[in-house]
Amino acid sequence: MIQSTGLTKVYRKGAPPAVLDLTFDVRPGMVTALLGAEEAGKTTALRLMLELERGQGVTLFGGRTYRRLRRPEREVGVLLPGPGEGAVAVAGHPGRTARGHLRMLAAAVGVPARRADELLEQTRLAAVAGQRLRTFSPGMHRRLALAAALLGDPSTLLLDAPTEGLSPRNVEWFHSFLRSFAVAGGTVLATTRTPQEAAQLADRVITLDRGRLVADQPVTEFRRTRLSPEVAVRGPQMARLADLLVSQGAEVRRDGSVGLAVAGLDRTEIGELAYRNGILLHELADRVVEQPVPRAALPVASGRSGHLRVQHAAPSKEQSGEQPEEQPGQPSEEPRREPGRPSAPALPVVPVAAVGGARALLGATPRREEPAAPAVGVERLFRDGPGERPHPVRSGAVGRRTSAADLLTDDTVRLSRPARPALPTTPDDHRSE
Amino acid sequence: MRVLAYELRRLRGLRSTWLLLAAVLVGDAAVAAVLASQTPSGPLAAPAGVRLLTAAVPLIPLPFAALGTGVLGALSYGHEVRHPGLPASQVAYPRRVRLLLAKLLVVGPVAALLALATLLLDTVAVHLALPAGVTVAARAEPGALSARVSEALGGAGLSGLDDLPGAFAPVALVAGHGVPAALLAFVLLTVVAAWTGVLTASLTRSAAAGVLLLCALPPLLESGVALLLRRTGRPWPGRAAELLPFQSGIEWAYGWVYGGTRGAAAGGAALTDPALLAAVAAPAALLLLAALLVQARRRAL
Repeated sequence: MIQSTGLTKVYRKGAPPAVLDLTFDVRPGMVTALLGAEEAGKTTALRLMLELERGQGVTLFGGRTYRRLRRPEREVGVLLPGPGEGAVAVAGHPGRTARGHLRMLAAAVGVPARRADELLEQTRLAAVAGQRLRTFSPGMHRRLALAAALLGDPSTLLLDAPTEGLSPRNVEWFHSFLRSFAVAGGTVLATTRTPQEAAQLADRVITLDRGRLVADQPVTEFRRTRLSPEVAVRGPQMARLADLLVSQGAEVRRDGSVGLAVAGLDRTEIGELAYRNGILLHELADRVVEQPVPRAALPVASGRSGHLRVQHAAPSKEQSGEQPEEQPGQPSEEPRREPGRPSAPALPVVPVAAVGGARALLGATPRREEPAAPAVGVERLFRDGPGERPHPVRSGAVGRRTSAADLLTDDTVRLSRPARPALPTTPDDHRSE
Repeated sequence: MRVLAYELRRLRGLRSTWLLLAAVLVGDAAVAAVLASQTPSGPLAAPAGVRLLTAAVPLIPLPFAALGTGVLGALSYGHEVRHPGLPASQVAYPRRVRLLLAKLLVVGPVAALLALATLLLDTVAVHLALPAGVTVAARAEPGALSARVSEALGGAGLSGLDDLPGAFAPVALVAGHGVPAALLAFVLLTVVAAWTGVLTASLTRSAAAGVLLLCALPPLLESGVALLLRRTGRPWPGRAAELLPFQSGIEWAYGWVYGGTRGAAAGGAALTDPALLAAVAAPAALLLLAALLVQARRRAL
C-alpha cells in the first residue's frame, strides 16, 4: 500500500509547478498506471515519492517514508531509467557482464548470489548472462534493470516507463510479468505515456496533466471515457452504406473521400449489412479512437476519494474543425446526428497497424495481421472478461454497441488462436531482440 | 559488511580495474629499467636507489603507482555516479556515507598491495637493468646498511649481504640506509593518493575531474603553503621544510624521502613522527570532511 499525499515540485521560482498537490493511493493486488503526456510530471512524481527530488509531500510505503525503510530494497523494488534517454538507457556499466552486475547488486542488497542467477532465469537472460552489457539491446537492459529491482524480493514495484521504446514482444513480456506480480498480491505502480498501454496493463489509471491529477479511475471506467472503438470502412458505395448504418443506429462520420468511420456497430455486423445489401467493401478494420485528455482545472480536489470531478474538454473544437469538410452536394452521406447523443470526437485517431499497443488491444483485420504481430496472453484477456459483460453502453439507442473491452476480448482471442506459442510464460528466447 | 562485499565485487567485475593495475605494474617496471640502465657507473647511493625503485619521473606530479591508484579511486566513485546500481537505495545519508567509507576501505589496501607489487617488480627490473659498472653501496659495504637490516643480519649470524646466496642480490637495493623507511613512506603516499582520488571524485561527481584535481593538488598545496608563509612573514620553519619541502610537486611527493641532506634526516625516526603523519594525512582528512559535508546536501552519491 502506497499513500502519496500532496506531492508538489517547483523547479524554479516562478515557473509552473512540475507536480502540484498530487494525492493518490496505490493498492496492493493491482497494477496502477500513472498516465500522462510527456512533461506531465510522471517521472518527477515517482522521484518525489522516493525522495530522490527535493519537494513537498509525503509518500508512505506501508506507513514509513522510503528513506525510513529499514531495508528499502526488500520492500520496494524501483526501476528507474538508467543513464541515457528512453530506448538507449542502460542498466549498468557497459563493461560488466549481466551476471556480474546482478551478483554485485545482490551483495549490496544482502541476498545470496543464487538469487541473482534465479532472476536471470526469470527474466530470460540466463543464456546471455556471461555477455557484457554493451552488447545488450534496450529490451535486455530493461529486463536486467527489472531483475535488479526484484533482487530483494520486494512486495512493491515502482517502475518509470518500463516499456518505453521496447519491441512489442518485450512490451508484452513486461505486461504479463507485471500483471502476474500484481495477481500474486504485489503492489505495482508504473508510468506510461499511451492510454492504450494503460488500458492494457493497469487495473487503475491515474491521469496526470501538467503535473495535476485529472482522473483516478478504474480501468473499466477509463476505457469507457478515454478510449472508444471505431470501425473504418472503405468502398465505392459509402453513401448508401452510411444511410443503412444510420438506420441501424450507428454513429457515422466521413473519413477521407471514400471512407466512413462507424461507431456503435460491430465489424461483423457492418460486413453482414453490406453483404445483404450488395455493397462492395474495400476495407473493414477496427481501430481505437483516443478521447482528448481532460484538462486540469484548478483547484483540483483531493484524489483520495478515487473519483474526481473531471472537466471534459469541449468537443466543439474538434467538431467545428471537421464540419467544413462535409460536402453539401452529398446530403445522404451527411451523418445524421441525433440530438442529445454525444458525437464521437474525431481526434486523435490511432491507426491499428501503427501502434503496437493498439494492435494488441484490438487486433487488426486478418489481412493486416503480420506473422510477427504480438499475441496477447490469454490470462490477461479473461481476467476482466466476465466482469465487463454488463458494460454500460454509451447511448441507450445503440443496444448492440460493444465496448472497447468486449472488442478486446473478442479480437485478441481470435488473434492468439494460431498455434504459435505466444504466451510470454512459454520459454522463448529474447536474444534476437 | 554488505557494502564492502558490493564494493569488492564492483571492483573485481570491471576489466578497467585489472587493465589499470597491469598498466601501472608494467609501466613502473619499464620506467625503472630504463632509468637504471642510464645510471653512471660507480657506487649507487641509497637515495638514488630509492629514486630508481619508485620509478620517479620528474614530469608527473605523483609517482606512477600513486597516480594509478588515484585514478582507480576516482573511477570507483565515477562509476557509481554514471552507473548507479540501485539509485533509490542511496537516498538515505547513512547509506551513502557507508558506501563512501567502504570505497575508501577497499581501495586503500588495494593501493598498498599495488605499491608493494611495484616495488617488488621494480627491484627485480632495476637489478637486471643496472649496468655492470654500478655497485650497490649496501651490498658492497655493511656500513651502508640500514640499522634494522644489519641487526637482523647479525642475529642470523651473517656479517653482510654478501654472505647471502646470489639469488638474494636484489635485496641490497632495498636494504640501504634509510631506504626501508623511504619505501614505506612511498606505500603510504600511494594509499593516500588512492583515498584522495576517491574523495576528489566525490566532490566533483566525475572521475575525470577527480583525477585532474588529484594531479593539481600537490602544486596547489605547495604554492598555497608557500604563499601563506610569505604572507605571515615567517621563513619556512626548519621542521616543516624538512617534512614538506614544497620546492615542486615532485618534491612534495617524496622529496623529503631522499636527496641531499634531508634524505638522512627523514629516515627511521622521522617516519614515526606524528607531525609527519599528520602532514601526509591532512589533505585526505580535510577532503573526507568536505565530502561528508557535501553528501549531506545531496540526494545521490
